[in-house]
Amino acid sequence: MMRLPRLRYVAPRTIREAAAALADAGPEGALLAGGTDLLPNMKRRQQVPRILIGLRGVQGLRVRELGEAARLGAGLTLSEMLRDAALCAAYPGLRRAVASISTPPLRNMGTLGGNLCLDTRCNYYNQSLEWRKAIDFCLKKDGTICWVAPASPRCWAVSSSDMAPLMVALGARVTLQSAQGERELAAEALYVDDGIAYLSRRPDEVLTDVVLPPHAGLRCTYLKLRRRGAFDFPVLSVAAALRLDGDHGDAPVREARLVLGAVGSHPVLAAEAGALLVGRPLSEEAIREAAEAAARLAKPLDNTDYALGWRKRMAGPLIAAALRELRGDGPPPHGELARAGVRGRPSGAC
Amino acid sequence: MPLVGTPVPRLEAPDKVTGAACYVDDFALPGMIYGVTVRSPGPRGRIRRIRLGDGIPWEEITVVTARDIPGDNVVALINDDQPCLAAEVYNHAEEAVVLLAHRDRALLERARRQVHLDVEPLPPVLTIDDALAAREVIWGTDNIIKSYLVEQGDVEAALREADLVVQGEYETGAQEHLYIEPNGMVAVATPEDGVTVWGSLQCPYYVQKALMRLFRLPPERTRVVQLETGGGFGGKEDYPSMIAAHAALLSWKAGGVPVKIVYDRTEDMLATTKRHPSRTRHRTGLRRDGTLVALDIDFVIDGGAYSTLSQVVLSRGTIHAAGPYRCDNVRIRGRAVATNTPPRGAFRGFGAPQSLFALERHLDVVARAAGLPPEELRRRNFIRRGERLAVGQQVRDGVDLPALLERALQVSGWTERKNRFRQENQRGTIRRGLGLSCFLHGTGFTGSGESHLASTVALEGTAEGRVRVLTSSTEIGQGTNTIFSQIAADALGVGGEIIEVPRPDTAAVPDSGPTVASRTCTIVGKLIETAALSLRQQLLEEGLLPLPYTTGDFQAACAAYVRQRGALRATARYQPPPGIHWDEVRFRGDAYGAYSWAVYVAQVRVDLCTYQAQVEEFWTVQEVGRVVNPTLAAGQIEGGVAQAIGWALYEHVAWQEGRMANCRMTDYIIPTTMDIPPIHVWFEEAPYPYGAFGAKGLGELPMDGPAPAILNAIHDALGVSICRVPATPEVIYDALSREEALV
Ligand SMILES: Cc1cc2nc3c(=O)[nH]c(=O)nc-3n(C[C@H](O)[C@H](O)[C@H](O)COP(=O)(O)OP(=O)(O)OC[C@H]3O[C@@H](n4cnc5c(N)ncnc54)[C@H](O)[C@@H]3O)c2cc1C
Ligand code: SF4
Repeated sequence: MMRLPRLRYVAPRTIREAAAALADAGPEGALLAGGTDLLPNMKRRQQVPRILIGLRGVQGLRVRELGEAARLGAGLTLSEMLRDAALCAAYPGLRRAVASISTPPLRNMGTLGGNLCLDTRCNYYNQSLEWRKAIDFCLKKDGTICWVAPASPRCWAVSSSDMAPLMVALGARVTLQSAQGERELAAEALYVDDGIAYLSRRPDEVLTDVVLPPHAGLRCTYLKLRRRGAFDFPVLSVAAALRLDGDHGDAPVREARLVLGAVGSHPVLAAEAGALLVGRPLSEEAIREAAEAAARLAKPLDNTDYALGWRKRMAGPLIAAALRELRGDGPPPHGELARAGVRGRPSGAC
Repeated sequence: MPLVGTPVPRLEAPDKVTGAACYVDDFALPGMIYGVTVRSPGPRGRIRRIRLGDGIPWEEITVVTARDIPGDNVVALINDDQPCLAAEVYNHAEEAVVLLAHRDRALLERARRQVHLDVEPLPPVLTIDDALAAREVIWGTDNIIKSYLVEQGDVEAALREADLVVQGEYETGAQEHLYIEPNGMVAVATPEDGVTVWGSLQCPYYVQKALMRLFRLPPERTRVVQLETGGGFGGKEDYPSMIAAHAALLSWKAGGVPVKIVYDRTEDMLATTKRHPSRTRHRTGLRRDGTLVALDIDFVIDGGAYSTLSQVVLSRGTIHAAGPYRCDNVRIRGRAVATNTPPRGAFRGFGAPQSLFALERHLDVVARAAGLPPEELRRRNFIRRGERLAVGQQVRDGVDLPALLERALQVSGWTERKNRFRQENQRGTIRRGLGLSCFLHGTGFTGSGESHLASTVALEGTAEGRVRVLTSSTEIGQGTNTIFSQIAADALGVGGEIIEVPRPDTAAVPDSGPTVASRTCTIVGKLIETAALSLRQQLLEEGLLPLPYTTGDFQAACAAYVRQRGALRATARYQPPPGIHWDEVRFRGDAYGAYSWAVYVAQVRVDLCTYQAQVEEFWTVQEVGRVVNPTLAAGQIEGGVAQAIGWALYEHVAWQEGRMANCRMTDYIIPTTMDIPPIHVWFEEAPYPYGAFGAKGLGELPMDGPAPAILNAIHDALGVSICRVPATPEVIYDALSREEALV
């Protein structure tokens, strides 16, 4: 039986009030945005805050500015971002990532902030209370052992957000606000390679907005592997952002950031693979080398859907496909793309 | 204007879309309390003791065990081997052992966790091979629930003389129904007033039969009322008897307080039935010209811990195993075995999808071996009118398989597309292929089933000049009420607005049989047609009806009849079509009154980067007799194809120690709208004289053909034969690795 535990609901009007409420609530409190992740988790007792601080009515969380760069409020729903044609045209990779998240009704509720702070996932954790109790709880919640890697002192639950790898690839910056003040950090620094403490965000901080880099000359894309064209979380994803020294796809690479999603507890930045590309055009050889280097970082564990060996094998080809797309080869023909809500629409380099 | 053949909108649709429809979860009685089920911990064991833990006010909670059953502890169906509550032993995971009821659902949940079962595990039998090896015997003397043998000609001799012999082994997995509404029942039961249950179900009289035996009650004190039912697909054929029995036992013990049990999705997936997994071995002999000379088929299905409907699933699967082909030497050995898994039950297609998957997949392998295009091999062996199927049945309907095949090849642009794909597949990482399947599906119950059922329907004219169609056939989302009103209206020669189809209630409707086996429209509909003609005849004979007459005249005549002579009622009872004979002992004869025939084509793309297969387009050509309602019929075909795509590519039941491990919709993957291609539907109509207005069965047909067509298309795309469903990316990857054909 899935019921929410008893809780108190607080409805602040401003970011400042929200931060104050969060500080007051201490470890008992949690922010509620769309609730599409938090509420099901609470029903399964994976998370048990007693005080929910609702962000729906908070002013100032829904900024949407697009000039040379973009600033997006954490409270924007995924659907609002998808409906913003100018934003999607400026950052096609963003559009891909957002369009691939869950389903239209969930995108109507789910927010950017909630997605970036999405709890990590694991087959042994995303289960009913009964189920977890039956095999005995694990480290991540109420237990003392990790069922995926029993000898391990840490939790390996998987970062499953579609926006997180993209934001890291873009080199976006996020703003966090608490009763003490405000700080800004690189998206990359928001994530920690730990299934339990997966965010560097302090418990009293509200993520308020995200700043994207200038879009002129930026090439970005996002590819996602999953069984179906809707609903499913990524079991492997690739976010890639490049700038070339010239307008043509065969110009040498000036800057490259490749990120793997859903292969570890945080988005994995393949810095070495990116560096391999710099100064060279996106030749098949360069692509192969970068893909191989990045794929070495994909060390998925057996705690999501799909057979492990298959997921491991997919990393290289998916990275290569992303790079070919950014070279200007056109959207990759993969089934999962056709299904990710981008059927029939051009989505080449930007 | 006749209604049959027109797209009359579904009668119950407005209630469903406005939320007015009352499903079991919406249904409440004063003072109603809730029931939950405590289930066995593992696949097989002995129950030593049931302990009630601390901290629960047990005196407030109704607790029922097998000892509280007033009659026999069985869910009566065919063999009556399944207990309603496990007593000394349990034979599968999630078997019901203890029932609890209370008003407070939160307390009930806590109490459920405080019921401790002390058990002694026994070694389980979990696979078909384990069952056949019979080192542990869990059912009968050899774990074989039922076996059939169909034999014609001399298979061994024909195989020896054949120019070519091709062997193959094919497997299909379990499948969960995932009807949109989980199982649920409300019951009121007392020794004085008997038992009444309301709930989500397909077969009211099956539930009644089970309750009578369990409570030792006569039919008139055992009442079953259907509520709006959110889908069934066979999953509400036998299990509602179990859950109705549980709710009724709780109510009985609680002194007649109404008790409701509604499963949540996880419990429904864990405890209720699934499609039978299967394994089929083929040995096929042919002549150089592609003529099939021998079909040797070994078909095994896994029935789970109790027999439920396995023997009838097996009989349909066995009869369909040789498909729509002519062959002089055929041997089909069909066996249903028991394993320590939750019993498998009815699921759209009822055994035929499994055996037809094997056959139609195998024929593509055979065609390659014979150097023939797959369509040509089939064309050369199609059964024709007047020829005999493997069970000896002479085909009498106007079947024209070559024409269906031609149509399918033409509408799908088969040759042109094949050529194009052959070119395109040279480049890039996408491989496209086309595959087809040719098949048949028997209308109604197998063998003498319909004669044993002897279904009855009644039509009643009312004082208000309306006509009520009384049957036990349930509306479960497929359109029963709509087609019944169309059939009744046309047979009476009136407008549909005066026809009422009340929801089945065993206290008010005759037994028109279960709502299964693609029988409702054709067989029960025919009885309605017959009863309607006799009702009209009564009015004519009494001189109350002028000729010609309007709907208004008819209403006036009904009203006058009721005023002058009392109840106006006509009934009809099933009679087998003339010349139909079935020999159950020899398992030979006319297995079905009629067959529907079809040719399906699938276009599939396989991504060599991710190994994912996706159906891109689907063409269906079928001959189903007269189409009573084109929208509903096309809906059945499209829905069936979608469900079969799930079975073919996505739906994998992960078994762990005989228990479904992925019992949530997060990880039991069914296709979404994004994964379903355009599905083209063509009907050929050759009216069947013994079906309502010429209709044959069509609801299950679309489940039979897609899986082999899709896997044949994968074979065409990759040149690699995959012999099991679901063909997930992992399976395709493995197959390619084995063939060392990785690019
Ligand atoms: C069936 C299903 C499929 C899904 N598929 C996908 C998918 O494919 N890809 C994907 O990425 N996600 C998926 N999700 C997860 C989820 O719906 C989305 O990630 C969504 O964007 C979460 O946003 P939310 O506003 O609903 O978050 P919430 O549930 O409201 O919050 C999630 C977490 O973020 C915290 N939080 C929210 N806002 C802030 C803030 N401003 N500052 C600090 N912390 C905050 C909350 O406290 C909570 O811990 C799926 C969910 C479901 C139920
Ligand atoms: S990775 Fe280990 S500790 Fe973390 S959720 Fe999974 S089983 Fe639990």
